[in-house]
Amino acid sequence: MESVALSLTGPFPRSEELVQATREWDRGLRAEPEVQALYQREARRICELESALGFGWVTGGFLSWQDLFRPFTGHVAGLRVGPLSRWFETNTFFRRPIVEGPPAGDGGALLGELPLDVLREFSKPRKVILPGPYTFSGLVDNQTDLTRWELARLWSEVLAREVETLSRHGYQFFQLQEPLLVVDPPSREEEGNLLQVYAPLARPLASAASLVWTYFGDASSLLPLLVRLPVGGVGLDLSDTDPIRLREFPSGLTLGLGCLDPRTSLPEDPLDIARLVRELSERLRPASIHLGAGAPLDLLPWEPARRKLEVLRDASRILQSTGRRAHRSSLRQAPTPQASRRSSSFHPRRRRGRPTPRRAK
Amino acid sequence: MSGRRLFPTQEIGSLAKPRWLLEGLRGPALSEAARRELQEWRDRIDFVPVHDARYKKLLRGDVAEVGPRGIRDLGALFGLRFLESAGLDIVYDGEARRIEMYEFPLRQMTGFRFLGHVRSFDNRYYRKAACVEQVGLKAPYHTEEYEFVRTHARREIKVPVTGPYTLADWSYNEYYLARRPGWKGRRARREAQRDLILDLAEKALRPTLEDLVRAGAGLIQIDEPAAGTHPDEADLVVEGFNRATEGLSAKFVLHVCYSNYRSLFPAFLEMKRCQQFLWEFANRDTPEEDGYADLEIFREYDDGREVGVGVVDSHRDAIEPPELVQRRLWHAAKILGDPERVYVNPDCGLRTRSLEVAYAKLGNMVRGAQMARDRGR
Repeated sequence: MESVALSLTGPFPRSEELVQATREWDRGLRAEPEVQALYQREARRICELESALGFGWVTGGFLSWQDLFRPFTGHVAGLRVGPLSRWFETNTFFRRPIVEGPPAGDGGALLGELPLDVLREFSKPRKVILPGPYTFSGLVDNQTDLTRWELARLWSEVLAREVETLSRHGYQFFQLQEPLLVVDPPSREEEGNLLQVYAPLARPLASAASLVWTYFGDASSLLPLLVRLPVGGVGLDLSDTDPIRLREFPSGLTLGLGCLDPRTSLPEDPLDIARLVRELSERLRPASIHLGAGAPLDLLPWEPARRKLEVLRDASRILQSTGRRAHRSSLRQAPTPQASRRSSSFHPRRRRGRPTPRRAK
Repeated sequence: MSGRRLFPTQEIGSLAKPRWLLEGLRGPALSEAARRELQEWRDRIDFVPVHDARYKKLLRGDVAEVGPRGIRDLGALFGLRFLESAGLDIVYDGEARRIEMYEFPLRQMTGFRFLGHVRSFDNRYYRKAACVEQVGLKAPYHTEEYEFVRTHARREIKVPVTGPYTLADWSYNEYYLARRPGWKGRRARREAQRDLILDLAEKALRPTLEDLVRAGAGLIQIDEPAAGTHPDEADLVVEGFNRATEGLSAKFVLHVCYSNYRSLFPAFLEMKRCQQFLWEFANRDTPEEDGYADLEIFREYDDGREVGVGVVDSHRDAIEPPELVQRRLWHAAKILGDPERVYVNPDCGLRTRSLEVAYAKLGNMVRGAQMARDRGR
């Protein structure tokens, strides 16, 4: 029987108070220590919310991140901050990283960007999101001679070191944000490249919970490829992925279901979510199910985002009351190639053919 | 083409609101810093006579005596003279009376409820509303502002008006989406969005534009910064624009920014009443990458309309030198094949820059345009 776990799947919105403070800080009307203290307080508030709603992990909401890449652009060699660019089909923008040399990190880029002191106050394990290598390499301005796949592979190595460092700081769940995988998917010829790109992450993720989280696009046709990545599971944005088209899923992996759509303030019906999750669970038989928002909730203001999380909690309760257990510990760790071969009959030919990790061409 | 001089300069819309305006509207008094700012800018751009009673009262910090209307009038005069004094050929009031380009129009309508702030980027936010009932209009909302500007302007006027597509895209669509049965997937969202856009165009934008045209507005800029957000919705941008402007006799131009402009074509060819596109380019122009390459689109589609070319970046403080502006203009003219089609503007509204930076950027933009004209002689 699959278990159901819940967590934040991306940055949470800043509160109205934090909005005001950061605006004033920009205008020189607030002192930095005051704003930093507020960041800490707001991160604590989100951890409390995550705990109260029964989430399996605390994140603190990633409130200080200006965009998915910014925590890295100041810390990782070879990167600098570039121009404003639209963040997929939203009215939010990110500073496109400019890659001027091979990215190289010491694994400490995120330490200063996460509210570790606050997270230590909570007994729950910690979760972090990371910019996945496919999305990173596809969105940056690559001014080096590296091919896109070489760059992606180097980025995986940067991430691998981050995972190792964060694991030592109590992080047990790593989620790779990969919207570009479903917005602009790799061609069939490039599928091998993608698998090779992810190879450096296999070992550090093997002892942690992990998901590749896709959003802003339909993941159904890409799912057979996604489940071959060396991570513990795959997350889908059900606002863009038609659930009817989901037919197969390997039994050894976690299925992430993005059940909340932050592009509308219209709250979802927990009964609808529970019904859909149950149906998918019975049809696909994943090892476990992970529920969250499809795209990150910071496309909403704070209060509507909080209400949506309550919907998720309510859906989880309905599932529990009808036989599903909500607990986090069974979120599957990244399968090693051997474990995959043992545990899954899904695409056995591909399992056999899992490529030996080597540098992408 | 008219007998207009080459490379006419224009603004896009918004300016940062001066401290004295914000504090004055909040009341009850002006801080020392706000009064100093008021005096410095008065001396610099002479936006109000030194003996003007409202100015003298504000300078004393006597906010209540001037009242919100008087303060707003001074704010509009400030924006207007700021742009004129920077040397622009086509001006407005810096949108001094508007909270901002999204919230202001929605507050003149019915059917929307504001939910809170969402981030646009970095520490920039906007207050986002949900459409919870069918769209309605309280009253046309730009005419009074336009008439004030017309009374005082010394240059040609262009009225910026936020377009229906952007108003819809920046809102949560509850009412129209809830009417769609079943799974709220991409198709349902698109259909609901079209319903919202067309209601905004017909019930809110069109009466507002009609009223403006009736009052004499001859040049109206429809702002659709969201136009490139969803590449498969370019046809909805066009439909909203066409529906809002149908049968109206004015020169309509369209501002779009931070978008993949290629995704807008060929749909934008059907925007027949649009005579000029004002696009952001400077932001994407780097030593390694030609930010103006998308101007090729006009040649590819044999589209001979005017183009307002963004030559200064609205989101960075670095001041572009006039020489760079000049180079960018002639580069754009070369791609378009005709300098007479090139208008000159910042990438976007300058409200995110300080007044000091905005003034310096506009000044250099004007100087760069003059250098480009001189070179063309």
